[in-house]
Amino acid sequence: MTEVTIAVAKGRLQAETLDLLTRAAIIFSSEALSSRRLSIQDESGRFRLIFVKPADVPVYVEHGIADCGIVGRDVLLESEPDLLQPLSLNIGACRIVVAARNDAPESQLGMLKVATKYPRIAARHFGARGIAVDLIELAGSVELASVLGLADCIVDLVETGKTLQDNGLTIIEVIADSAARLVVNRASYQLKAHVVGRFMRSLNEAQQRGE
Amino acid sequence: MSETLSRIPAGMRYYSGPEARLRRTIENTLVSIFDGWSYEEITTPTIDYYSLFEHGMGRSQAHHAFRFSDTDGRMLAIRPDVTSLVARAAATLFAERERPLRLCYVAPVFRQQPRSRAEWRRESTQIGCEFIGANGSAADMEALAIVCEVLERLKLDCDSLITLNDVEVFNGMAEQLKLTREARAEMRDLIDTRNADDLGRFLARYSHEPEARPFKQLVQLSGKRNVLTDARGLITNPRSQAALSRLERLWSVVESLHLADRFEIDLGDVSQLDYYTGLTFKIYISGAGARVASGGRYDRLTASFGQEEPAVGFVFELDTLTEVLFARACDSIAAGSSSVEGARLTGNNLGELFVAARRKRELGERVIITASEVSQ
Repeated sequence: MTEVTIAVAKGRLQAETLDLLTRAAIIFSSEALSSRRLSIQDESGRFRLIFVKPADVPVYVEHGIADCGIVGRDVLLESEPDLLQPLSLNIGACRIVVAARNDAPESQLGMLKVATKYPRIAARHFGARGIAVDLIELAGSVELASVLGLADCIVDLVETGKTLQDNGLTIIEVIADSAARLVVNRASYQLKAHVVGRFMRSLNEAQQRGE
Repeated sequence: MSETLSRIPAGMRYYSGPEARLRRTIENTLVSIFDGWSYEEITTPTIDYYSLFEHGMGRSQAHHAFRFSDTDGRMLAIRPDVTSLVARAAATLFAERERPLRLCYVAPVFRQQPRSRAEWRRESTQIGCEFIGANGSAADMEALAIVCEVLERLKLDCDSLITLNDVEVFNGMAEQLKLTREARAEMRDLIDTRNADDLGRFLARYSHEPEARPFKQLVQLSGKRNVLTDARGLITNPRSQAALSRLERLWSVVESLHLADRFEIDLGDVSQLDYYTGLTFKIYISGAGARVASGGRYDRLTASFGQEEPAVGFVFELDTLTEVLFARACDSIAAGSSSVEGARLTGNNLGELFVAARRKRELGERVIITASEVSQ
């Protein structure tokens, strides 16, 4: 019987997440992993994984459809879900930064045009500095906005900085470090305290061993 | 129909059929339990001055109210909270009444922002009790006993959990670390989200305080009586210690009632720190992603209306309860009113038809007038 349902962010974090779960002795058959099913059961039958878009992880967990989720901190900072974050995971390390063209003018008075996939993080960051911003929300390839002059700067997630460099952008400021987090539904944390607690401990031990 | 007429505003809804009947049955069940504990029903204004809610709930919460201005320019709000209104009545209308006051209510509240994605409602009905003018474990236990009875009567006692905390455990720690307002809010958030790693980093700034390091364990402390014993070893400031003693007294009563398996001490529950002044509790039910009820002691609230007195209260979310019980198809609860078929009455003579119908109604029977004949 399924004890814990875990929402896993597809994409960037997926492989590392599955690797961490394997190290925590939560094993999925290669048949299940190679299939295109969006919901798979582990070999013990106690854990169920569901694969969803990163931004949807907090949604499933907040509604209690998934008890836990593994998702980047960037997603949590952006959507500010009402969830517990009991464990930082040492996978998917990257930074949320402000970047601009190398030849951008020093400082901008008046309105700053900011292109981003993270409108709330950007609004909070510039809001705290009292800088008026015109937020341009984009779905991807945010670097281009700065290169082509759609925006004065961008707020984006950076892993190695290679994409920025290749496009002639420099990091001006680091807003926050972002790595993966384990998030837990508030009701599951209480009602399934025993199994969720055990899962948290095994994850933690697995990542300590991996260090 | 045009979209402007058919569209329902986000977070608003209808109830009908078995769901509406179930909702009504739950409401009646709760009100009859409250009556059994001698709580008197009070109906509050739906619209009141915004400043009242700002005082009662705190600015950050009152902010979510639907607001508009009165003819004299003063700001009005559609009730986002009932407790503020009850506390004001206690300090004004009932100022001369003998204490303690036991009051209960059923009322919809309105908020522009839902509390979380799992409770996407902008109108939600609260059913609650306020016990004003009584202090100590007896009053706290009375609130918990009523909550237990509600869960039993709704047959939810087996898969629900009531968590207990006392906000003074946190306040004692914050005082000892001499936290600024901002730092206090930051520590509150880290504990509330059980973010042990960031809490550890936060507390490292206060490493000159010998108690700072063990505080980190606070987020992980939940369980039965052992939690209180463990906490006593970690937290030694007198304010927190006094709160732990209060929890211990309450826990002993819970144990003597053989209810310990339904309760848990959760020192990490610090969600509404600025509102509550002592005991806090939350009720979780499997099937509901969010809590279905919460409550606690709020001794300062009435003071903002001129008369400081102890008070404890709780509120159940009727919509969440309905959703959970409806999903479980708890037909037995709603059976009472729905199963009786009405007597079908037909006839061409409207006089005779309605004489017969009124006679049956006098006997308390359900009737249904068949429309096709009537229309002829």
